[in-house]
Amino acid sequence: MKKVLLAVIFCLLSAWLSAYGQSVQITGKVTSDDEDSVLPGATVQLKGSTTGTQTDADGTYSISVPSNGSVLVFSFVGMLAQEITVGSQTVIDVKLASDSRNLSEVVVTGFGSQIKRDLTGNIAQVKGTEIQNMPVASVDAALQGRAAGVYVNSGSGKLGQGINVRIRGNSSISASSQPLYVVDGMPITTSDLSNNGGATNPLSDINSNDIESIEILKDASAGAIYGSRAANGVVLITTKRGKAGKTNVSINYQLGSSKATRRVDFLNAEQYVKFYTMAANNRDRIDGVETTDPDSYTQYMLGPGGFLEYYSLGTYNTPNQKEYLWQDQAFQKGPMQQLDFQLNGGSEKTKFFLSGQYLDQKGTIIGNKLDRLSARMNLDHQAYNWLQIGLSMGLARTNNKRLPGDNAFSNPLQMAALTPLTPFTDPETGLPTGTPPGDVNVPLYFNPMISIQYASYVATSFRNLTNAYAQINFTKDLKFRSELGIDLLNQNEEGYWQSQNIRNVSNASSGLGENYATFVTNYNTNNFISYDKIHNAHSFGATLGMSYQQSQTKYSYIAGTQFPSDSYKKIASAATKSDGSSTETNFRFLSYFARLNYKFSDKYLLSASARIDGSSRFGVNSRYGFFPSVSAGWVLTEESFLKSNNIISFLKFRGSYGSTGNSEIGDFPQLGLYAGDAGYAGAAGQRPSQLSNPDLRWETTKQTDFGIDFGFFNNRINGEIDYYVKKTNGLLLEVNVPNTTGFSTQVANVGKLENKGFEFVLNTQNLVGAFKWNTSINVANNKNKVIDIQGQIIEGGMRNMSRVMEGQPVGVFYTVEYAGVDPANGDALFYKNTPNPDGTVDRSTVTNNGYNSATRVAAGNPNPKFVGGITNTFSYKGFDLNVFFNGVAGNKINFYGVGQYSSANGIYEDNQTADQLNAWTPQNPNTNVPEARFYRGNGNQASTRYIYDGSYLRLRTMTLGYNLPSSLVSRIKMDRIRIYVSALNLATFTNYKGWDPEVNTDDMSERDLKFALGNDFYTAPQPRTLLLGVNIGF
Amino acid sequence: MKKKVFIYSLALSAGLFFTVGCNNKLDVQPTQSIDESQALSTSRDVEVTLIGCYDALQDIDVYGGAFQYASELLGNNGELGFGGTFQNLLEMYNKEITKANVTAAATWRDSYVTINRCNNVLSALDKVDEDKRQRIEGEARFIRGSVYFELVKLFAKTWGDGDNASNPGVPIVLTPTRVVTEANEIPRNSVAEVYAQVLEDLTAAKTLLPETNTIYATKYAASAQLSRVYLMQSNFQGARDEANEVITSGQFTLAPNFESLYNTFLNNGGSSPAEYIFAMTVTQQDGVNDMNTFFGTTISDIPGTSGRGDIRILPKHISLYEPGDVRGTFFITPTNNTFTRKFLDTFGNVIVFRLAEMYLTRAEANFRLGTAIGATPLADINVIRTRAKLKPVTTVTLESILKERHLELAFEGHTLYDIKRNKGNVGTLPYNSPKLILPIPQREIDVNPKLVQNEGYN
Repeated sequence: MKKVLLAVIFCLLSAWLSAYGQSVQITGKVTSDDEDSVLPGATVQLKGSTTGTQTDADGTYSISVPSNGSVLVFSFVGMLAQEITVGSQTVIDVKLASDSRNLSEVVVTGFGSQIKRDLTGNIAQVKGTEIQNMPVASVDAALQGRAAGVYVNSGSGKLGQGINVRIRGNSSISASSQPLYVVDGMPITTSDLSNNGGATNPLSDINSNDIESIEILKDASAGAIYGSRAANGVVLITTKRGKAGKTNVSINYQLGSSKATRRVDFLNAEQYVKFYTMAANNRDRIDGVETTDPDSYTQYMLGPGGFLEYYSLGTYNTPNQKEYLWQDQAFQKGPMQQLDFQLNGGSEKTKFFLSGQYLDQKGTIIGNKLDRLSARMNLDHQAYNWLQIGLSMGLARTNNKRLPGDNAFSNPLQMAALTPLTPFTDPETGLPTGTPPGDVNVPLYFNPMISIQYASYVATSFRNLTNAYAQINFTKDLKFRSELGIDLLNQNEEGYWQSQNIRNVSNASSGLGENYATFVTNYNTNNFISYDKIHNAHSFGATLGMSYQQSQTKYSYIAGTQFPSDSYKKIASAATKSDGSSTETNFRFLSYFARLNYKFSDKYLLSASARIDGSSRFGVNSRYGFFPSVSAGWVLTEESFLKSNNIISFLKFRGSYGSTGNSEIGDFPQLGLYAGDAGYAGAAGQRPSQLSNPDLRWETTKQTDFGIDFGFFNNRINGEIDYYVKKTNGLLLEVNVPNTTGFSTQVANVGKLENKGFEFVLNTQNLVGAFKWNTSINVANNKNKVIDIQGQIIEGGMRNMSRVMEGQPVGVFYTVEYAGVDPANGDALFYKNTPNPDGTVDRSTVTNNGYNSATRVAAGNPNPKFVGGITNTFSYKGFDLNVFFNGVAGNKINFYGVGQYSSANGIYEDNQTADQLNAWTPQNPNTNVPEARFYRGNGNQASTRYIYDGSYLRLRTMTLGYNLPSSLVSRIKMDRIRIYVSALNLATFTNYKGWDPEVNTDDMSERDLKFALGNDFYTAPQPRTLLLGVNIGF
Repeated sequence: MKKKVFIYSLALSAGLFFTVGCNNKLDVQPTQSIDESQALSTSRDVEVTLIGCYDALQDIDVYGGAFQYASELLGNNGELGFGGTFQNLLEMYNKEITKANVTAAATWRDSYVTINRCNNVLSALDKVDEDKRQRIEGEARFIRGSVYFELVKLFAKTWGDGDNASNPGVPIVLTPTRVVTEANEIPRNSVAEVYAQVLEDLTAAKTLLPETNTIYATKYAASAQLSRVYLMQSNFQGARDEANEVITSGQFTLAPNFESLYNTFLNNGGSSPAEYIFAMTVTQQDGVNDMNTFFGTTISDIPGTSGRGDIRILPKHISLYEPGDVRGTFFITPTNNTFTRKFLDTFGNVIVFRLAEMYLTRAEANFRLGTAIGATPLADINVIRTRAKLKPVTTVTLESILKERHLELAFEGHTLYDIKRNKGNVGTLPYNSPKLILPIPQREIDVNPKLVQNEGYN
């Protein structure tokens, strides 16, 4: 040991002495090779050390190097790095060549990093610059269309709502299919904490502009190091860190405005009266009642004191009758502004990154508003040669004035169903119609404008994401890193409903106040040793470590009624504390992991990793799981037969196989439980609440991935092709049990499903030179199929139309097949589809009274067959233009949530979509819309009639920017002034009839939301946002 | 060197700490629930599980409303109107029920949830303190018997429609569920078997239960339910005697004022009037009155009223009352629709049995049997009429007794069964039309292949 010590001291001393003795000062300028523009902020680093600097505004730098033998590495984002040996030079000017997808780029892997060239697993990287300043509240929304095989559906246009992200398909049925999110090494809290209908999105506490890069671990080789958490993919978010050199300041301000992308056509006043007259007449005809009979539906609708007279506030058929298009009231113009500042810099010993952001955004649906204040400080400090310590701390306060769930009368979009003759304002009170003291029973349903004006629901979350690390370099090759992270999420939700809401909130007759507090405390530690060694043509890498996570969620709630007046809104003034609760839940993970990488002569790549995971969520009989993976790569372009090929510049084959797990099924699913929530009339009660399963364990996903990475013409054309097969078995399933047991479901590991697909990425530099044009395309196809769920039938969603069944994709729509309209009488028809004895299917039709005898059939997949994105960037001189489309194809959307009321042949009094005007009449016998029949089901039963194609192509973002010439900018001591205009969702191409094809209603149970996708329920459309921004750097 | 040793040992001990220290951290227990093995160990445990039975019985899809409104909607013949967008109710109203009807599914499910809770109580009677054991058993049996009775009425052919011994009723489960195996796929027992079980539970409950028991089931609640069972079976003697027992017990008195019978939270601060024999108690914290949800509506100047206003009262019903009948003006027309005032109160208790029903049952049974046990049918009917501020009548017929019953108990859940046991019609549908029987929920057929679907739903 003493010898080693002496040797170390000698080495350190000599290094120090040599550095001291022969220091050389180098200066120079870094430019881009194709247009000779200077590159401010390029990194100049002494190879093999942490010594480095950055170029200033005119691209010049100055650095002292220890010796002539030193090697300087020049790098800049989007450029090929260059290494230059100093030699005798003192001035080194460098031209960097551009490279849109650099193979030598560093990619973050779990517990380490690797250069892209050497990867054997599938990791998609999205750079922070690609998503910066996008006017979406959360980073997952920004990922949409950016990476192959990552399907993002924002679900609704409400701000800060939960979003569906599927990486390589749905891997689960009853467990979550959302990926694991890891920020700077720490798995963060992403679960929904909403108490107001619709999920909240804890990812909206993260400022996207703080992100350096996002890596998405898609295959088993990349994911296995996250073991039982990785089956749905892992999203690694790395925040920006400081760079040594001058302090760079960047300030960005953007201002914009949003409005809803699309509307749906509903009947106007005249059409409404005509249509419902017809519907009521038809019903009376069927009932054999004279339309003049006071008990007839016609009189109910049109007669004196009837529906129209009442709901038009007496204006029907008078000169005062006017038209009121209620849907328009639901929308508003949503201004937004965002101010960002970022500072980074430091010395070679201590580097910092500091940022702050204020975002203030109004939604496109009335009443919706979000503002966020966030700050981040990332510090790195080289305490000793052998010790590096650092801290990342992100703080955020998010205020979200939220909207109710889609299936609430107070959902503003439901105004579309209100009678177009009902005035917006009650002329007697001057208040929104239905506001006391006026008649509360108009309009037809509760007027959401009342809750906009007289109620509020604000969720305020405070987030602290802090991660400290210490890294010890025992030797150049052997390192130990310890990370300790804390993710604190405190959320307060405060709702107050004034007495005016009485019709919708029955216990608000003297005010209702609600207050929810949720505290999620999530600790995590990672401790691992890594060893990297290059010996001749062999290079080794090894990582060995453990991690432990514990998360606790505490929740408390109080509600009060009987307020002295609406001036008192806090529960302190509530005479009756009407409800209250507090709960706590915990989960823990203890994990051990290891990884080995081996590379021979830059040609042959081998990697193996494994993780052992233990969790409190699993039964005592199977508490620990083992998740191994192996992968290999072969760089053909390093072989002699391709090395000198001047067309193919890079070619790598890679393959991986391994297993990952999914443990996201909530806490304590394995226990047989009694719950104490069965009180009655103030007496305490308990009930059996859950059936036990001590054998319960994770779902295991075995994934095979084959990939080719290629580059042509010096990588001007490069890309990746992947084929994968993901087989999940031991599905955690809420298995239906007969209700006669007193239970509905039991969680068990039952069944198998499969996802397989292709991913295709292509990046091209179409034009280089002064006018540059780059294209980047990603397309993925995924085929999802439930192989075996032991005959279980799992259904949910809108009238149980979403199903999980063998041989079909998860969440397939399953319903009776609509056969159109009988031209003879206007009856809705349905195909029987019952099997005949000879094995054929009975394609005869039945009408409404035979509906029960029609067999349901698989009627479309809510998961898209293809998802993709295409980005084109153009630049010329100081101008740059970025045009990004994303799209999905081959998925179906269920419009029944809206259609059963509003495209329903006038079954209820709800205003109808304009297409119902095409209803059957003797004069219009050939139509697809059945005869209108008031309060009589004629075709509004659940059927394929309401299942539409959901494919769309969307101009997701378009940004045009101009950088003022550096000559001009540097004169006022600036590095950069940039002005830009940007648009989100500028155009949407789709055949979907509803508001927005990017839809997933929040109106469902937590269980159903996991598989019942693609449902529309008066769901808010996405916003179209236009922005103007300015960015300065100095 | 010291530093390095220090570093190494720090790293090593940290590593060891985490490896060893964390292992037992994976044993995490829930905080709001307890393991089933400890749940029924003491007398108190069983007593609170019994409260859980009431909690289940009060569910909106059990006695919290669905049992009653299903009978009213299915039995309606032009006296009720329906509006609003609850397709499950509209299907019942139109007698065009789909197999996926969510009320049918929820009623089935939540009834068996109630039954399973009762079975848990009944399985652990040995843990109960001796002085409470009889009462606890009686209450659990009352609840279980009552739920089976409602299930067999809703989901099976009515008593006497063909062969009770071969008509499928509902599956009978009498033991608590701990594990689920194929043995839990239980076929439907016959209507006769279900009725036998109902009678066994209720007669046992009647002997076990005390005469008074605050808001919980009493001997007389069991008697009142028995009188309904006997009435369904046309066992008029049994019905008469049970009703008579309740009336003569002196535990219940008719409210002097018909109006004061309803809206118990608004009128009485939540306590049931002395006329109620058994009701589901709703408080601001717990329980929902689903009769209020669908029959009720918000009246601007009566704070505390609410409801969707979906079930409306049509002129055809209102015209049935004689002038001066206080029940005939117990309606309100806040909009273009008219509603009953019986269910306006958000937190009103849900009536299960009240004394007036016993008078009407005794009158009907005495009349049919030609007896006058307790009182003459005429006297009983006049008790009801007098309270409604009507002049007494001098004679009664079966028809007039049934009409009195219809008006007095309107919208309280009797309509369909009064039609069925009298073999009447609902519009053009005969009493035994398959359209007046709920389907076995499709979901249940899917998981239990031994269940046979009702006629007309295949």
